[in-house]
Amino acid sequence: MRIGARGFVRSLVAAAVLLAALLLAACGGGGSGIEGGADTGNVSTAAAEGKPSGTLSISNWPFYIDNQTVPDFEKATGISVKYQEDVNDNSEFFGKMQPLLDQGESGGRDIMVVTDWMANKMHNLGYLQDFDQEAVKPAMDNLVPSLQSPSFDPDRSFSLPWQSGMTGLVVNTAEAPDVKSVNDLFDPQYKGQVEMLTEMRDTVPLVMKADGVDPTTATKQDWLDAIDKIKEASDSGQIRKFTGNNYTNDLANGDAVAVIGWSGDAIQLQADNPDIKFVMPEQGCMIWSDNMVIPVGAPNPTAAYAWMNYVYEPKNQAQITDYNFYFSPVAGVKPLIEKTDPQAAKSPLIFPTDTYTKNCTTQVDPPGSDEDVADVEQAFQAVVTG
Amino acid sequence: MNGESKPLSRRLIPYWLMGPGLLWLVLFFVIPLYFMARLALESGTLETGFSFTWEWANFTDGWDRYSEQFFRSFIYAGSATLIALVIAYPLAYAIAFRGGRWKNALLFAVVAPFFTTYLIRTIAWTTILSDNGVVVDVLRTIGILGDDGRVLATPAAVIAGITYNFLPFMVLPIYASLERLDPGLIEAAKDLYSSSRAAFLKVTLPLSMPGIVAGTLLTFIPAAGDYINVIFLGSTNTSMVGNAIQSLYLNTREYPTAAALSFILMAVIMAVVVIYIRFAGSEALMGEEEEAT
Repeated sequence: MRIGARGFVRSLVAAAVLLAALLLAACGGGGSGIEGGADTGNVSTAAAEGKPSGTLSISNWPFYIDNQTVPDFEKATGISVKYQEDVNDNSEFFGKMQPLLDQGESGGRDIMVVTDWMANKMHNLGYLQDFDQEAVKPAMDNLVPSLQSPSFDPDRSFSLPWQSGMTGLVVNTAEAPDVKSVNDLFDPQYKGQVEMLTEMRDTVPLVMKADGVDPTTATKQDWLDAIDKIKEASDSGQIRKFTGNNYTNDLANGDAVAVIGWSGDAIQLQADNPDIKFVMPEQGCMIWSDNMVIPVGAPNPTAAYAWMNYVYEPKNQAQITDYNFYFSPVAGVKPLIEKTDPQAAKSPLIFPTDTYTKNCTTQVDPPGSDEDVADVEQAFQAVVTG
Repeated sequence: MNGESKPLSRRLIPYWLMGPGLLWLVLFFVIPLYFMARLALESGTLETGFSFTWEWANFTDGWDRYSEQFFRSFIYAGSATLIALVIAYPLAYAIAFRGGRWKNALLFAVVAPFFTTYLIRTIAWTTILSDNGVVVDVLRTIGILGDDGRVLATPAAVIAGITYNFLPFMVLPIYASLERLDPGLIEAAKDLYSSSRAAFLKVTLPLSMPGIVAGTLLTFIPAAGDYINVIFLGSTNTSMVGNAIQSLYLNTREYPTAAALSFILMAVIMAVVVIYIRFAGSEALMGEEEEAT
């Protein structure tokens, strides 16, 4: 009898395994779901159909929008918006989305906001759709000339900037008045009070520039040398840690006095502590844009275009810029801000002049093949992970 | 004999009761484990696609690159477990034997902080232990820390964070085993002229072993894979194997190496636990059932 009972257990297990296998098969086919593989040449266009309606789902970075824009948009268009702040780090967001995107799914998202290089990478992997240029024309007409043809997307066929900004030094000027260059972060008097960003394309080129290397023409070896310099500072305890957005807490607490950080954060921090300032590095800053893109499998592209056109109307855009204090990609915002917030309109961090940003570089990828880029990324991650 | 005389349907009841748990285990443990094992043996990159090639090198590669983080994980988790035990045992003892009518309130006090989410509690520690905070100030004044010494971003902060976060998992099982203990046994020991110390060592401690073993396992196993405490309280130089796996998976997207490293972690934890249970005696973990068979 006992053997009979065991046999029963065995068949129960077998049934469970069978059931599970069937479930898995039903959930989208064999394999582990993580296949990867470039799929270029297969990019479809997200066509707009009829009048925008229904639900729109957006994934954006935190602290990037005021409280009023979404409700205003809902009222104006009748579209209901699911706005999620679930992008904190390009690589991490990619890591989370990749298995879905690879199956042609976006998890219901119609718009995602990612930085230039990530938009490029996703596009190369076939994870994004091209815009219906007809539908997005009102927005494109308002795009500032300087952002109309970035090297990764010269025709703006799949990306539209949300905001741009600068990466440079964010310094507590009461504690570290002498920090003027990225090289000053390596000064022993600030040991353990310096932090750098986990975004490789922000941190490494700034260190390179400080040593006189131009990131746009840098070789793989230049990248690896800069990473070595960072590693040494990390091993010796000069660099306290590598962070994403959370360096703002450490600056506010006083645990860090000088960091590599983003211009918009500096303005927001300054509101609480006037000593914290964005310092343009002597050798220049990095400039990047975060872009709205439409992923494969986006359920409602028509509503996505309605959103893009809406936020590209200068008066709607002014409301967003006056909250997040990054560069606006929309022409005609400055006169509107001058009326509502004259001080912000004067800030070179929000409306930078050509002389202020003359030494700045647009964010770039490490040079070479995919393997070369992967080598550099691994070397940098090895430093960040310790 | 008894079982065999019962009708079939009654004898099947235990298996039906096991069914849902078994199905759960297969769906959410066995099957994911299979895919992870498969992934650990694949090669390639995200751009070129992954293919299954029995790539055992993922294991050696993962170990070579991250053995330091492995050792660190086990040292930190081990230290945190020991410290938690030293804090938890007297606490559980006091609640069980001296708690009186405050027993439930005291137990609630142990668990109460854990109604707040793990992340928020850990982030709160960054403010408490800040370089400009009171704690560091006091430690500097009494000379435990140098003038520019700090607590955050050191191994001590990470170990303290882990200890704090897993303390209830240590207190509750020890409390449960002490609470069940018949005080008559201790009285009997004393009637037989045993000193308090000997009574504790010969009666109380051995009888609370199941709680100690369960508590240390419940603390050590999740602590070894923890990565949150390092992110907020530690630095690059204190990163643990959980951080390495997270970074491999989310940042450099070396999925096969990440999966292989997860397997190594699982295997090493399993080995440590098996040795520990052998050493601590399996009857301590299983209670008296082992003796009964």
